[in-house]
Amino acid sequence: MHHIPDASTPSKQPPSWLSALLSLILPGAGQGYLGFYARGAGILVTILGLTVLILWRGNAALWAAVLGIWVWNVWDAWQMARGRRPRMAIPALLAILVIYSLAFITTEVQPRRMVTGWSSMAPYVRALFRPELFEYPTEDRVGSAPILVPCVEPLPEPSRKPTEHPRLILDKPCASVGDPLTIRGEGFFPNFQGELWWVSPIGDVQRVIVDHQPATFMTDDQGRFEITIIVPLAVPISEQPPPGQTQTHQIRAEQHKPYGNPQPTQTLRLIWEKIGETIALAFLATVLGAVLALPFSFLAARNLMYHNRVTRGVYYLVRTALNIVRSIETLMWAIIFAVWVGLGPFGGMLALMIHTIAALGKLYSEAIESIDPGPIEALRATGANELQVIVYAVVPQILPAFASFTLYRWDINVRMSTVIGLISDAGIGFLVIQWIRLNRFSAMATAILAIMFVVTALDYASSLIRKRLIEGVPPRPDRSPWVTWGIRGVVIGLLTVIFFWSWHVAEVDFTELVTGMPAGMRMAKAFAVPDLFDRPTEAHAIRQPLPVPCSVMTPPPPPSSGPRVVLEPACGQVGDPLTITGYDLPPHTQVSIRWEMPDGSFLRVKSNCCTTDDQGMVQVHTRISPLMEITPESPPGHVGYVGIHWEEIVGGPRLSKTVKTVADLALVTLLMALLATTFSSAIAMPLSFFAARNVMGESLPGRIIYNLFRLGFNLTRSVEPMILVLIMAAWVGAGPFAGVLALIFNNIPNLGKLFSETIEDIDPGPVEAIVATGANKLQTLVYAVIPQLVPPFLAFILYQWDINIRMSTVIGFVGGGGIGQQFRLWVGLNQYDKAGAAVWAIVIMVWSMDYLSARAREKLV
Amino acid sequence: MLIVENLTKVFPGGTVALKNVSFQVEDGEFLAVIGLSGSGKSTLLRCINRLIDPTEGRVIWHDQDITAAQGQELRHIRRQIGMIFQQFNLVKRSTVLTNVLAGRLGYAHPIWSLFHIFPKEDYERAYANLERVGIPEKAHVRADQLSGGQQQRVAIARALMQEPKLMLADEPVASLDPVLAHSILRYLETLNKEDGITVICSLHFLDLVHRYATRVIGLKDGELVFDGHPSELTPEKFKEVYGEEAEMVTVSGEMNRYESR
Repeated sequence: MHHIPDASTPSKQPPSWLSALLSLILPGAGQGYLGFYARGAGILVTILGLTVLILWRGNAALWAAVLGIWVWNVWDAWQMARGRRPRMAIPALLAILVIYSLAFITTEVQPRRMVTGWSSMAPYVRALFRPELFEYPTEDRVGSAPILVPCVEPLPEPSRKPTEHPRLILDKPCASVGDPLTIRGEGFFPNFQGELWWVSPIGDVQRVIVDHQPATFMTDDQGRFEITIIVPLAVPISEQPPPGQTQTHQIRAEQHKPYGNPQPTQTLRLIWEKIGETIALAFLATVLGAVLALPFSFLAARNLMYHNRVTRGVYYLVRTALNIVRSIETLMWAIIFAVWVGLGPFGGMLALMIHTIAALGKLYSEAIESIDPGPIEALRATGANELQVIVYAVVPQILPAFASFTLYRWDINVRMSTVIGLISDAGIGFLVIQWIRLNRFSAMATAILAIMFVVTALDYASSLIRKRLIEGVPPRPDRSPWVTWGIRGVVIGLLTVIFFWSWHVAEVDFTELVTGMPAGMRMAKAFAVPDLFDRPTEAHAIRQPLPVPCSVMTPPPPPSSGPRVVLEPACGQVGDPLTITGYDLPPHTQVSIRWEMPDGSFLRVKSNCCTTDDQGMVQVHTRISPLMEITPESPPGHVGYVGIHWEEIVGGPRLSKTVKTVADLALVTLLMALLATTFSSAIAMPLSFFAARNVMGESLPGRIIYNLFRLGFNLTRSVEPMILVLIMAAWVGAGPFAGVLALIFNNIPNLGKLFSETIEDIDPGPVEAIVATGANKLQTLVYAVIPQLVPPFLAFILYQWDINIRMSTVIGFVGGGGIGQQFRLWVGLNQYDKAGAAVWAIVIMVWSMDYLSARAREKLV
Repeated sequence: MLIVENLTKVFPGGTVALKNVSFQVEDGEFLAVIGLSGSGKSTLLRCINRLIDPTEGRVIWHDQDITAAQGQELRHIRRQIGMIFQQFNLVKRSTVLTNVLAGRLGYAHPIWSLFHIFPKEDYERAYANLERVGIPEKAHVRADQLSGGQQQRVAIARALMQEPKLMLADEPVASLDPVLAHSILRYLETLNKEDGITVICSLHFLDLVHRYATRVIGLKDGELVFDGHPSELTPEKFKEVYGEEAEMVTVSGEMNRYESR
């Protein structure tokens, strides 16, 4: 490329070696000295930031990259002093290299595990093609025969009886493991397949394996079959009978002949019920959330609230509250509400609702802010009163936007509602996680397919309604008002019925909010005062020997002053009453009083004991523990003690360990989002061209590919990353890598859809112009298509990055690593002050990243 | 010479855009194409450089059958035919220089050009053409930062990069105000007179046709209904092209006001 000399080079030319030297000592200093402060600061911040990152979790090899940037910085300072302005590509690449290497290290990305873990993943994938939808009721024929393993002399009678009809005939009454065994069957369904099972003496049932395949047989016209199997090792070696004895095993042949009409499976019936619950939760949360969001949206609308200082204060307050509530994911709210009102659909509904209020409150308020004052002015000019102005000029302006946002939220709530069950017991997610735990792959697959189907269908329905809202409904003057109102009545009636049904299904009971208040308040208090600081402490201990019995030794008297333990009596027998008193300890301090064994082990005398009084005294009454007894076998001098332990604060407050853990995990979470966004964008970009109508053209194969990709995107998009992570955890093991994979699998169709829509919206003008110059296809792509795609693609990638950060905060709930895992753990351990620190970290992280990416997006578009 | 023979275009939906259109254009002519919106003007221009494939008929230019050309041959024909558009069709997010250099793609190295690498002469040519259309200082500005008139000049510079022998202009001034319209058409006139480039230009305003064109053809519902000198375009002929309801609209009043400055 040609070289553009920089016009802003300062006129005063210091010697070039000086700035290079300055930059050698402090990166960026030379550039700053030349007057390029921003460049110098950028270099310094980059090197410092990378240093911190590498110290945090890095690999020593990464220092080479930092060194490279340092060297480049010296060269850059030298070049700049000579009036040149080198490109930043090299240091940028090095910085990216470091960040991505760190991301790989911290999120434990090991593609190898995708191969080694495939065997545990395969059943999940296979199950997706074998959902449990319908089954025929079956007529069964089961024949069984006993067999003794191993053979002994004399052979006892088998402890189980054979069946008479159908009947199995074995070629020998006994066999050893590994022997061939020929089985003949009679009286089965003719010309029909069956399975062979081996039943161990304790009733364990397993399929008989022949040539590494589960054994099946096929009967002839008379309902007979013959098959030779190898006697399996049905009982573990350790449980084998002693020599000379034998055990009765059993061979079972089963035929299940379907008849009649297919019936939905039990699985499908369960799914049906839970899908209903899922939809009910989403519906109720959307309706209640929308209604409750209305008042907030007016309070958060700048154009309504900017008149005086008080209302402006309210505006900022409401805005901030909405933002905080919104940056905590629905699932995190679900955990919070599970503590407050207990597990169940109601808590899930509340979680969906509160997030809906915050999200819709913000969207509604933006709709109010973007209202056009023109029509209001025009109506005032006609002499309309305020109410008329609102009805005729304000409501028509905000209603379509409100309705459209509410529908959009309904879509999101349906998706969220499918995963609420992963942590609560409401909705379809509950079944998914239960079945995964029980290894019922095909049932799980059925549930996932049901989610795909329902979410995609509801998406489609709401996109139709949204289109109607945006385009408006054409008036039907030919239709009588009775019909119009009749249809409206039916719709309103239906919605009302759905509402009450949802209310019933969601087990709404607002009294639970009150009865659960103590638990909720305890958590709220801890969240408000998170565990941010602690003070270093020093452990202290004093002890006094307690000979049991007294004859062992004469205990020395306790010291007369200073912290001391006084035992009353000073020695005794096991079970004797004992008064332990501590003197001159620090007042109002928590102490722990212990029985101490000479080997260092100990047992608390009382749990949750005790606090010293004003004088620093503490006293407990107990009985001498059997632990303290000295038996004739004890080594000489083996005397137990009674000890008092406490901790004293030394030094000032410092950041607590929790903060360090949270910062660490927050960074892991960010890097998870970074990796997921990068990989999924790279994969989605080429795929998106196949889902773009204008690229694929109108030919038949083109249309088929287009529709396949569209459908694929829509179906896979409907499975939330929270569900995917369950499967990915089975594949590569629980942890951040599984989380990253789940995000990638969810992002590809999402980004693919957005990308392909961008490609479809491309301006054909420039393409035409470039073709007209005689450019070939590739040149046209590079000069007319890609420049149009880059900014919107980047904007979508940033948008996905925002979503991924939110998602990665909760993906750990079910094994995806990151901060969510720790949050759930802390809530589970009732350590709400620590959980609170995690919540605040998430709020800050989500907020700042939202802000940064919004700024970046503004610049792009 | 450009020969258009029995050109017919039927779009997949069944819309007939051109019906059996035939005419010839001598080298060095400034041919104006008039007609209502939807009368087939744009389709006709696009059939000439095969942005649209005609259903029937032939376009022959300098003894080459454009309608039969494929692949590389077609691209080599296209690069000799410049085209400018009503909406300018610049890549708005690319710089002016990149947009202008894109006019050279038909000549550029097929690989290197993908990395925005052009020979030095092309850069010189680009700067010279920007100089020629009067905006050399805008080379490193993003195209969407320019006004409409400036964008159309960039588009002309892009077409000039092709060193065209024929220039197609599809309503080049319909999106511009009258002053700019004249300045753009004067560039086309200069190219026509000084460089001897044949110009085929669809226009809306009759006074512009009278002022710049050496010949006019009129299209109505895809059929050729007028072919002659601008002076032959009487009110009766005009009504034949534009329909009974039409009245002549000119931009001259405003133009005079600006020109008297």
